[in-house]
Amino acid sequence: MEDLFNYREDREAYSAARMRALEDLLIKKGIITDRTVDTVLDFFETRMGPFNGAKIVARAWIDAAFKERLVADAPSAIAELALPEGMAGAEGEHVRAVANAPGLHNLILCTLCSCYPWPVLGLPPYWYKDPTFRSRAAREPRAVLKEFGLEIPESVEVKIWDSSAQVRWFVVPERPAGTESLSEAELETLVTPEAMMGVAIAKAA
Amino acid sequence: MLTRFEHYAVTELMGKPETPPRSNGTLCFGHEWERTAFGVALALTKQGYFEWDDFRDELIAEIGAWEAANPTDRSSWNYYECWLAALEKAVVKAGLLAAQDIHCAR
Repeated sequence: MEDLFNYREDREAYSAARMRALEDLLIKKGIITDRTVDTVLDFFETRMGPFNGAKIVARAWIDAAFKERLVADAPSAIAELALPEGMAGAEGEHVRAVANAPGLHNLILCTLCSCYPWPVLGLPPYWYKDPTFRSRAAREPRAVLKEFGLEIPESVEVKIWDSSAQVRWFVVPERPAGTESLSEAELETLVTPEAMMGVAIAKAA
Repeated sequence: MLTRFEHYAVTELMGKPETPPRSNGTLCFGHEWERTAFGVALALTKQGYFEWDDFRDELIAEIGAWEAANPTDRSSWNYYECWLAALEKAVVKAGLLAAQDIHCAR
């Protein structure tokens, strides 16, 4: 066991050294700078990702008027928040929100990952592009949701929203019970990409 | 439709064996060097040194070679080791560095 552990440690150290050597050579040649990697990753880590969707949903939970505006005209409502540029413009301009409510559960689908509202939800999970998931979710959403561990009672309507090049949907989940005392920032941590896709619900921590 | 290159690059790899590991809508890096390898590959493509499809072909070849060499026991799998090997090859093919330089610097 210890041998195996050492072996893995060595491999990590070797890969790290190899990458450092490659980066150093590219920097020395003036092809990249020591800021290049951070600039690229900044896009994924701080600009476009599910943290944006979490901010939008948390605001909708604490501000009913904002939620109304969000469902009526998502780009305009999102533009009210101090999110990175591109959220409600460029690709995000066709983003639309649907809100879960007592008696209504929403589920989003899409035919291609380019139709995923990625500035808000981040990178789609591997199964999102799966043709079986897409056709089954459209045909028997309750059975598919059950496989995700989400049982929707018969009394609750399930609506499917198929994203396209024109419109990309995301779900505003219901605010979990027992979260009345939480701050907006604390609420944000309860909003998962899965809940904004409708394959889960938001839960109190 | 206007698409940011960063998004295009990652989604191009989706739904295939060469898909980068991710969780809850964000990329997963086990170590700092993995993050660096990812960032350098995207930056060089964005700067036009090679095409994303060419890098992807190198990555697919590396993953294929790893799978052929490890047909049963896959416990030593590391996605970004294949990524790094593909990146080194792409850099040499693009004429940015000589294979010898990379080898000596390790």
